[in-house]
Amino acid sequence: MTLATAPDKAAPARAARATPRRRRLRLLLVFALLAGAIVYLLVEGLGSSLDYFDTVSQALAHKTRIGTTVFRLEGVVVRGSVRRTAAGADFEVSGGGRMIAVHNSGSPPELFQPDIPVVVVGHFASVGSDLFVSSQIMVKHSATYIAAHPTRVRGPNGKIAP
Amino acid sequence: MTARARWATRVIGGAALVTTALTVWLGLWVTPPAKVMGTLARLLYLHPPIAWVALYCAFGLAALSSVLYLWRRTRSLFWDRLGASAVEVGVVFTALTLVTGSLWGRPTWGVWWTWTARLTSTALLLVLFLGYLALRRVPADPDVRARRCAVAALVAFVDVPIVAFSVDWWQTLHQRGTVLNPGLTLKVHGSMAWTMGLGFLAMTLVFVWMVLVRYRVELLADRIGDEELEVSLSERWAEGATVADAAVSLALPDAAPAASTGQGAAVGLVPESLGGRR
Repeated sequence: MTLATAPDKAAPARAARATPRRRRLRLLLVFALLAGAIVYLLVEGLGSSLDYFDTVSQALAHKTRIGTTVFRLEGVVVRGSVRRTAAGADFEVSGGGRMIAVHNSGSPPELFQPDIPVVVVGHFASVGSDLFVSSQIMVKHSATYIAAHPTRVRGPNGKIAP
Repeated sequence: MTARARWATRVIGGAALVTTALTVWLGLWVTPPAKVMGTLARLLYLHPPIAWVALYCAFGLAALSSVLYLWRRTRSLFWDRLGASAVEVGVVFTALTLVTGSLWGRPTWGVWWTWTARLTSTALLLVLFLGYLALRRVPADPDVRARRCAVAALVAFVDVPIVAFSVDWWQTLHQRGTVLNPGLTLKVHGSMAWTMGLGFLAMTLVFVWMVLVRYRVELLADRIGDEELEVSLSERWAEGATVADAAVSLALPDAAPAASTGQGAAVGLVPESLGGRR
């Protein structure tokens, strides 16, 4: 008898305890869903609009759509193509096996050199043109750091061997 | 704070100082210049460790503390204070991340600042956690404030993985991770690698020391707040009792002894809110 009635007596108390817990759980679930939605919107919704630049192959693929609007172009400076001019520098950038000639005005950054990835800001000279007119060069260096003189050692006099 | 905690704080502070000094010495004088970047690579020993502390140590600890505060079984103002301390230190380190990044960006990229995903999301992170600190200043009951702040910290923390993965999700000017990249391949070599490792250790120790000190300040501020409340309550009580005595003795000269024994509250001359606590 006691066994049969005990759960009935405890049931309302348990229900009262369970309600705020369930509410909290629901709140947590809503919070997690909201957080997930924010991340999803940021990553998927904004998508490629958060890309800082177009690569050489992307730019050439969308050349007609881009026209002469200003955008950022990324590519590796082609060795032997750099020619310093009074206004700045002329060079070629490559990416995905394709190339674009760049005519830049303004002094290039300190690290600007052949074989380095750069982002140039500018536009195609005219619709259908392969010449990119740029007003700014940014160097996009890699995440790899290698010593400039990995074999150098200090001599007995404490000086670094050349 | 116990004597042992004070001793531990001092030891950690000393270790932070020594490792930071060693990092500076190795970074500026011992390590070789890097290929391509030359001597500019020396910011490698400072900028990534600072960003590591801001993103993962500080805001990670803040998020963890917030969860532990919100979870009823572990709810304690300890987690609230710890979370707040971590956020405050994290905000300092986030600002330093932006400053050192900017100083590095100008000579390498050629710009102080640009709206690329990594930089923008980091700036947003700073603003979000500044918002958290502003929220803490809003007057509220300690428990209400703690709950609000815990939720705010968790909302702001959503930006942390965005900052971390921004260089993998989108095409950005910022290079991908030298250490924390998808393949977890260390892209730095020799003495440069372990100097950077030491930098990570140094900045983490600085962070731990700052959080310990900041936590103590938070604890003392709370205690002073409580003591001030008690002092002002007793002052108000003394004031109320004196006024009650005077008023009662004026109105009912014979009843003065009764009022002085604390029955002033009964005739409505002492604020009700204080009457209940007497």
